[in-house]
Amino acid sequence: MDDIDKKIIRILQTNARTPFNHISQETNVSRDTINNRFNSLCKNEIIRGTTILLNPKKTIEGTFAFIGIKTKMSDIETILAQIKRMAGICSISKAIGEYQIEGILLGKSMEEMSQTKEIIENIPEVIDLIVEMFVDTPLLCPQNFEFD
Amino acid sequence: MNLDKIDNRIISTLVKNARTPFRQIAKELNVSPDTIANRFEKLKKDKVILGSTVVLNPEKIGYATIVRFGFKIRPTFSSEMLSTIIKIPSIIIATKLMGEFDVIALGVVKNFDHLFILTETFVQMPNIEKVHVSVWVKTLRLKPEYFII
Repeated sequence: MDDIDKKIIRILQTNARTPFNHISQETNVSRDTINNRFNSLCKNEIIRGTTILLNPKKTIEGTFAFIGIKTKMSDIETILAQIKRMAGICSISKAIGEYQIEGILLGKSMEEMSQTKEIIENIPEVIDLIVEMFVDTPLLCPQNFEFD
Repeated sequence: MNLDKIDNRIISTLVKNARTPFRQIAKELNVSPDTIANRFEKLKKDKVILGSTVVLNPEKIGYATIVRFGFKIRPTFSSEMLSTIIKIPSIIIATKLMGEFDVIALGVVKNFDHLFILTETFVQMPNIEKVHVSVWVKTLRLKPEYFII
């Protein structure tokens, strides 16, 4: 990745719909070059895609929560297999730390959130579970992934 | 907030590819590209759509590991510390929450040295009483349109 690639990513990170003409002016290279660079960044899977960020409060009236699960190392896969199919799970991960599984849950209502909590608690391999609600819409870092 | 068929189509199309030309969405719905452009602006104005971004593969640019930080913060300083924490380049997303932690943040690090330096930075910040660190392994990103990491 060179400076042009980085510039393309930087610009698209704050507005994925920026016309290539505009990026071309900012970088002093042709529109075709920007187009080719973008395509090859996608092909090399440096860029996974472009997307819009939705406000869960406006679209599905939902709230996020952090979940942490304590379990035995040998039971992680069993629990993961059940949890990853549950509707509200946005992200789920094995974790090294106080909890063995951590993730982000999106609930449409308090009832749905507590139902999900109960279902997870009732998985026999789960030793302990915390669910902590986000107070507000999470903030995205304006300058994530600093390149050097 | 009432979203109609056109709004929903705009959202579902742009979630998959934010660069989809408006005339393509317009053609599928038999409306004018201007209608789509106006709706898009309205969805942004009403804060249904918060913005658009490029989804990167952190591993490909040297950020090997996702880390979750949980912070205990001195009472009444949560908002102030959240706005400091969110500006640190390795952080992807951060929020206040209720429970064991006052603020939670997800970030990406290049290696364990980087993680150590980042953790030290947090520990030395005033008003942060405690920092919990957890390293995420084999993370499944199931709903990136709502929660990007």
